[in-house]
Amino acid sequence: MIALYVVAAIAVFAAARAILERNTGRRFPYANVLNFAVAGSLVLLLDHPITLIAAAAYFVGSTLEANAIASTYAGGMKR
Amino acid sequence: MIFELQVVFGLIALAGALSAALLKDPYAKLIALGILVSGALPFIVDRGYLDVAIVASLIAPISTIFVLMAVRRAET
Repeated sequence: MIALYVVAAIAVFAAARAILERNTGRRFPYANVLNFAVAGSLVLLLDHPITLIAAAAYFVGSTLEANAIASTYAGGMKR
Repeated sequence: MIFELQVVFGLIALAGALSAALLKDPYAKLIALGILVSGALPFIVDRGYLDVAIVASLIAPISTIFVLMAVRRAET
C-alpha cells in the first residue's frame, strides 16, 4: 500500500515538472519518469494477473511515444 | 480506488488537458497529450476493464505518431 503512495507522489512531481518546465528539451525526461510511475501504479492498483499484461502494454506504448517525440524534436532521421 | 489516488490521477489528467489546450509549442502539446492519457488510464484499469486498457495504451502512441508527422510537415 505504501509503494502505491510513493509511486503516485513521483507521478505528481514528474507531471508538475513536465508541464511547468520552460525549456521544451527539459520536458522529455520528466515525461519519461511520469510514464514509468504510471506503469508501476497500474501493476499495484488491481490484484489480477492480466494487470501485468496491461502495464507491459502501457510501458511499451508510452516508451514508443516518448521516443518518437524526442527523436523528431532532435531532428529526425537524416536521409 | 483509494480516494487520494483518484485525486492524484484526476489532477494529472486535468493538468494534461489544460496544458494541451494552453501551451504554444507543438512538442509541448504532444507531451501534454501523453500526460492526459497517462492520467486517464489508471481509472480504466481500476474498474477492471483490462482489455480496454491494453487497447487504449497501444493505440494512443499510434495517434501521437500521426500527429507528429503533421507537426513535422508543418515545420518544414
